[in-house]
Amino acid sequence: MQDESCKHLWKITNIKPCFIINEFCYKCKKNTTYFSLEERPPIERYQEGEHFWNTLGYDQSIRFDLQCKKCGKLVKMEELAGLMMCTGCEDNCKVYSLMKELEKERTWVYVAFGFLPFDETKQLDKEQISVLEDYFNQRRKSSTSKIKIVSGDLIENFSLCYGNIIKDVDMLSSKPPEN
Amino acid sequence: MKLKELIDKFELKALTNIEDTHIKGVYLSDMLSDVMSRAESGSLWMTIQTHKNIVSVANLIDLSAIIITNGKNVPDGTIELANRFYVNILSSPLPTYELAIKLVEAGVK
Amino acid sequence: MQEEETHIIEIEKIKDSLQAQIITGNNIPNKFITGVYASDLMSDVLAYGKSGSILLTGLNSQQVAISAYMAEFKAIVLLRGKIPNDDIKKFAEGKNIIVLSTQADMYEACVKIANIKGEVPVIKEVEKPVSKAKNITEHSFKIDGQDFASAGMVSTQIKAILKSIGYDSKLIRRIAISTYEAEMNVVMHAKKADVVLKASDEMIKVSIKDEGKGIKNIELAMKEGYTTATEEQRALGFGAGMGLPNIKKNSDKLNIESEVNKGTLIKIYFFVR
Repeated sequence: MQDESCKHLWKITNIKPCFIINEFCYKCKKNTTYFSLEERPPIERYQEGEHFWNTLGYDQSIRFDLQCKKCGKLVKMEELAGLMMCTGCEDNCKVYSLMKELEKERTWVYVAFGFLPFDETKQLDKEQISVLEDYFNQRRKSSTSKIKIVSGDLIENFSLCYGNIIKDVDMLSSKPPEN
Repeated sequence: MKLKELIDKFELKALTNIEDTHIKGVYLSDMLSDVMSRAESGSLWMTIQTHKNIVSVANLIDLSAIIITNGKNVPDGTIELANRFYVNILSSPLPTYELAIKLVEAGVK
Repeated sequence: MQEEETHIIEIEKIKDSLQAQIITGNNIPNKFITGVYASDLMSDVLAYGKSGSILLTGLNSQQVAISAYMAEFKAIVLLRGKIPNDDIKKFAEGKNIIVLSTQADMYEACVKIANIKGEVPVIKEVEKPVSKAKNITEHSFKIDGQDFASAGMVSTQIKAILKSIGYDSKLIRRIAISTYEAEMNVVMHAKKADVVLKASDEMIKVSIKDEGKGIKNIELAMKEGYTTATEEQRALGFGAGMGLPNIKKNSDKLNIESEVNKGTLIKIYFFVR
């Protein structure tokens, strides 16, 4: 039973391996990202309404949900494309300002991204973000530091952001060994 | 076991400033998504990935340290980031399995 | 240099200790492996894995089976309960690679394998007679860009042809790895390519001529860690490496000609000693 007064203790559940696909429309110059649960990444060019989508790239990743160990409440994370740690690349960025402020107390800022294009895709809501933050803080055993998760909306100019979301880059390529 | 003890015992090279801590388990994987979703906080993570994002993952779930195996070169950007976020990175010339069985023999769990 | 360690372990014992399920492989009680390699990065497996080993990996993709074949692994253990798809099964069956699946994660699997005790079986190394090709043989193949379903198939065929001729297995391994890297480059970055294999008793030449973006700066591309990802792809975290340094490392001579927006011609030479 779901209990409104429950002090939730989150666990990760429904972990599914997937591909995160990045496509680009040559007509409207928009970028789109989405998850594919297929065994192989779909890479066909296709038309969808106004758009002519072409694959720019893909990486392996996972999708998951969070569930309360005590009351069983399930919070779906379908809108989460990935988490990115702010590494402070753009001085005027609101996320970076927040990071500079919180860095002193060893609280680290992560951005929860939804899928592209941000203006046409449902992004994570406040509850999802706060549950994500609670989950990661509950999982951390350290008492000396904390995690703060913010929404991707805080980043005003995405093209200036040099952070990378956590995913499995280059798993299928034969990238040369570095030495 | 304490991290500093481990460094001495297994001749690991510290690539970052080291903050001593307790090691609570070992996790092996080269898939960041896997570590993010499954590794226990406080674990020692062994991998051949050297991308900046290993710092993001280690910091997110508060791992005790990352050991880069196979003696792989770690880019300066990764080291700088790790120092800023107090993530310990060590290096070993051994492949993941060889180092893992040494840890097993020494009773690191 | 580190002293190289050899682990000789019966596959049957590994299966038992990991409580693994056999996905492919017959006659397992008589098979053993001579090394263990734990990795999820196939480039690493190709570069450092030793033949005769067992691969422990959490990556479930056809590239795992192909990489294992190229690097001459005897067996693969898929970790964390991953069950391979039919492509992997079919490929592994055809190449006599044993595939196991276990619930254990990578460290647990290492711990369990390290704890396997018992008699070390005596290995009788059977030297295969090497009969070199007398005449030049030539084969051509086609690779389609973005055709991930067939990625690795050309190098697989090349390896099989060279094996049937009877070249030295170490030489074949180097050729297989180089060709595989080149093939993956085409699949990831080019539109299509023609591949020609020429083999004689003195030299083996593999040439790959692709239609694609080309390489702007070959010298730079030869540097390790180089990527052709665009700024935009990089901003989003998408990068793709090029296998040229690994091809160079495994070949005796490498020749690259490239024209931007047209394509690249790679000629890889191996001397038969």
